[in-house]
Amino acid sequence: MLYLFLNILGTTGKKFISFIANIGHFFIFFGSAIYWTFKPPWYLKKIFQQILDIGYFSLPVVGLTTFFSGMVLALQTYNGFTDFNSESTVARIVLTSITRELGPVLTGLMVAGRIGAKMAAEIATMRVTEQIDALGTLGTRPMQYLIAPKIIASLVCIPILVLIGNTIGILGGYIIAIYKLNFNPSLYLYATIEYLQLIDIIQGTVKAAIFGLIISMVSCYFGYNASKGAEGVGFATTSSVVISSVMILTSTYIITALFFG
Amino acid sequence: MEKRKNKKIIIKVSDLSKSFNDNIVLKNINFKLFEGESLAIIGASGSGKSVLLKNIIGILEPDKGSIQINDTEMVNLPRNLKEKILLDLGITFQHGALFDSLKNWENIIFKIANKKKMNNKQGKKLAFSIIKKLGLQPEILDLYPSEISGGMQKRVAIARAICGNPKILLFDEPTSGLDPVTGSLIDQLIKTAVRTVGGSAITITHDMASVFRIADKVMLIDNKTISWSGTPKDMFNSTNAKIQEFIKPINSEFLLND
Repeated sequence: MLYLFLNILGTTGKKFISFIANIGHFFIFFGSAIYWTFKPPWYLKKIFQQILDIGYFSLPVVGLTTFFSGMVLALQTYNGFTDFNSESTVARIVLTSITRELGPVLTGLMVAGRIGAKMAAEIATMRVTEQIDALGTLGTRPMQYLIAPKIIASLVCIPILVLIGNTIGILGGYIIAIYKLNFNPSLYLYATIEYLQLIDIIQGTVKAAIFGLIISMVSCYFGYNASKGAEGVGFATTSSVVISSVMILTSTYIITALFFG
Repeated sequence: MEKRKNKKIIIKVSDLSKSFNDNIVLKNINFKLFEGESLAIIGASGSGKSVLLKNIIGILEPDKGSIQINDTEMVNLPRNLKEKILLDLGITFQHGALFDSLKNWENIIFKIANKKKMNNKQGKKLAFSIIKKLGLQPEILDLYPSEISGGMQKRVAIARAICGNPKILLFDEPTSGLDPVTGSLIDQLIKTAVRTVGGSAITITHDMASVFRIADKVMLIDNKTISWSGTPKDMFNSTNAKIQEFIKPINSEFLLND
């Protein structure tokens, strides 16, 4: 019995120490990546490729998600608030929910699934096929060549994607409000503009930038430290999406609390 | 500076040991590579040959021991200084390690393009001047590594290693997976590269025909250490059981006469 207890204690302790070591390892990687992101030379061609991939090619999925979210939000709000004769708050609820929360979070989750997985798989494959080792022997810093362009592009693109996603989401709500719920277009637009606050846009943009950092750092970390061939690539990809998503949902609460808490 | 018959020591490995957790892979490895010398490292799979090469090029750090390249101590050398030394080396990895996202010509001139600005036309011209020595067609230059065969990828990797005429060449199984004709071509190229530029080479290989074609000196890694070293001819007089196993399939007379 004592042996079993000690065994469980030992295994738990080992896992805990390994967990703490991994966190430490991540922060060392984080520091190094930030250093190389700001250190010239910058590989402009690689940065441009990443901007195209993260920003431009993510637009359809982000646009579609936020558009339908705006539509659903308008319908649900209308149905819920009719009981209290407060249908007029639909524009405000749609606007606030999209700009403060749904826009940044949905964009973050979509990009984590689409781009985070791709980044992790690409870097992990390069790691297990010795391409990263080869880079180091050819006078190129892997951190500067591979990781920095992804971080820069994520920091630039995700806030822009969120701003576009917010606009499309509000448009979705507008279409439902006007064409299905028969709101007056001018009044709806007036209400939307009236309740639009700079702090909501700033908060959404700050969230987006932090999500960009989370997605790129977590994905690059798992990819960069991949091992064990194809299995390692799979593990890196899954882990990057799961951890990025959890961190996005956790950090959105912290940021909201900091802004409005 | 230690010299043999007026030849400079290019790489000197002393008392190198390397282990992964509790698994000792290399123990007290000592050898020297002289200028103009071609050294072949042989050994069974998993004997630590590639680990030794990765220690030399700084991908792995040894647990103890010293590695000197052109009299510069590489162990614990700051990364920026290590990079400068590595730029003078031509290295091929066991599986090619070509960059998937770059075209073959971009792969070949990667190191040079980092140092010197060149346009696409100049880059392709330089890449072509190298691949024609390796029996590759110019059509492959605009393709990606995934669009050519494994044997061609190997040759593109060799082209990348020899681009810029480095004086130290390190090859990890350069002829594995190649047909005998191409393998022989690669061997000839290694030999030429060593002789014409006065370079030195370390080749890790299982291919004994290749060893007899390219090597001035052979080193056997067995049981975590260098258990035998000598010239290719010495192998036939060796009583070392592993050496006997390696040369058994070889038609010795044919190769030596060749």
